[in-house]
Amino acid sequence: MTVTVPILRQGSALIASIQEDLCDSDILNLQSRILEDVIRYRANAVIVDVSAIGILDSFGTKTLIEIAHSVKLRGAKMIIVGIQPDVAISMVLLGLTLKDIPTALDLDHGLALIGET
Amino acid sequence: MREVISSSLSDSEGKPEFDQDLVDAMRWFDLSDHDRALTSELGDIADDVGERIIEAFYTHLLADETASRHFRDDAHIAQVKKGQMRYFRELINADLDSSYIADRRRIGSIHERTGVTPTLYIGAYAFYLNKLANVVLDRMEDDPAKAFSMVLSLFKIAHFDMALALETYADTREEAIKARERELSELPTPVLQLRPGLLLIPVVGTLDSYRARALTIQLLEGIQEHRARAVVLDITGVAAVDSAVANHLIQTMAAARLMGAQPVLTGLSAEVAQSLVKVGVTAEALSTAGDLQRGIELAEHLLGE
Repeated sequence: MTVTVPILRQGSALIASIQEDLCDSDILNLQSRILEDVIRYRANAVIVDVSAIGILDSFGTKTLIEIAHSVKLRGAKMIIVGIQPDVAISMVLLGLTLKDIPTALDLDHGLALIGET
Repeated sequence: MREVISSSLSDSEGKPEFDQDLVDAMRWFDLSDHDRALTSELGDIADDVGERIIEAFYTHLLADETASRHFRDDAHIAQVKKGQMRYFRELINADLDSSYIADRRRIGSIHERTGVTPTLYIGAYAFYLNKLANVVLDRMEDDPAKAFSMVLSLFKIAHFDMALALETYADTREEAIKARERELSELPTPVLQLRPGLLLIPVVGTLDSYRARALTIQLLEGIQEHRARAVVLDITGVAAVDSAVANHLIQTMAAARLMGAQPVLTGLSAEVAQSLVKVGVTAEALSTAGDLQRGIELAEHLLGE
């Protein structure tokens, strides 16, 4: 079953709220849609909310990093919000520390973070 | 061997494997039914002179300053003497079974609790055995060879007895040490909110991997609960960390960042700094500050205040 993650517009930001665990093709689908929408809606920021996700594997994380870098190349920035404590621990144990990508506790903090700049 | 004895002690009574352990332990002490039969023959002599020996035994005990401290008053002494009589009668003819072992173990733990040292215990035991051996040799002048083998059998059982008591000593001590360690590791690390969005976590004491794991969970849950955007982890009170724990600290900081909180590590001692470098951490990878004050200033700066 494919899951299509809704991408919402909030001011000049796009918000992709992932509501359930995604398979690899779902993530790739999300990647291409985000990259299209960034240009289509002239967004200057993308927030990916992962607070409902119980696990982020290395492929998912790698793709998220790719999305972040491509979004940057398209002139916007991306932040990841809502990583849960146990998800954070397992990501770190896998060596996935999302070095260059801003993070925030939740959507609220994420919006505050892009509002500041 | 130690395992055999302690496992025979720790198993509860009546289990089938218990008896096997007992058999193994007795084989190690070269104890047989023959020994038991021989010492049982000492019963009459022991009953006859038992009280006299115990009197001498207590005169000896009370003459010693350290030993006499264990007795409160005459009534206490009388009570203990009665127990002693039973103890020695059992030494001579009780069945060496699980209830015997349980009883010896109980006595060992009483001794441990009341502060009777192994030296005091074994010394007193040796005194008693010597007295008894002398009496036996006296009484059986006509058959010294048999008297000798009786005494040898008695010594075997006495040694078995002492081993049981000493194992109990060691077990009780180990138990105490473990309890202390547990207490120490469960020492809670407070998660303090300095102001909205800024958490302070002072870590004091030894940081082992168990405690480091607990710390990680507390920190991450604290971030969520307080909606923190910066965390100051102060390890001034930590003398040293091994490389596993150093690694763990770094991972904790990385996890905090993933949750959207800027982590700041402060109060690194020279040793801790060196262990961090050894696991390949450089200052670039994480925000650090020399002391708590500068750490808090740095965190506020990161918060953009």
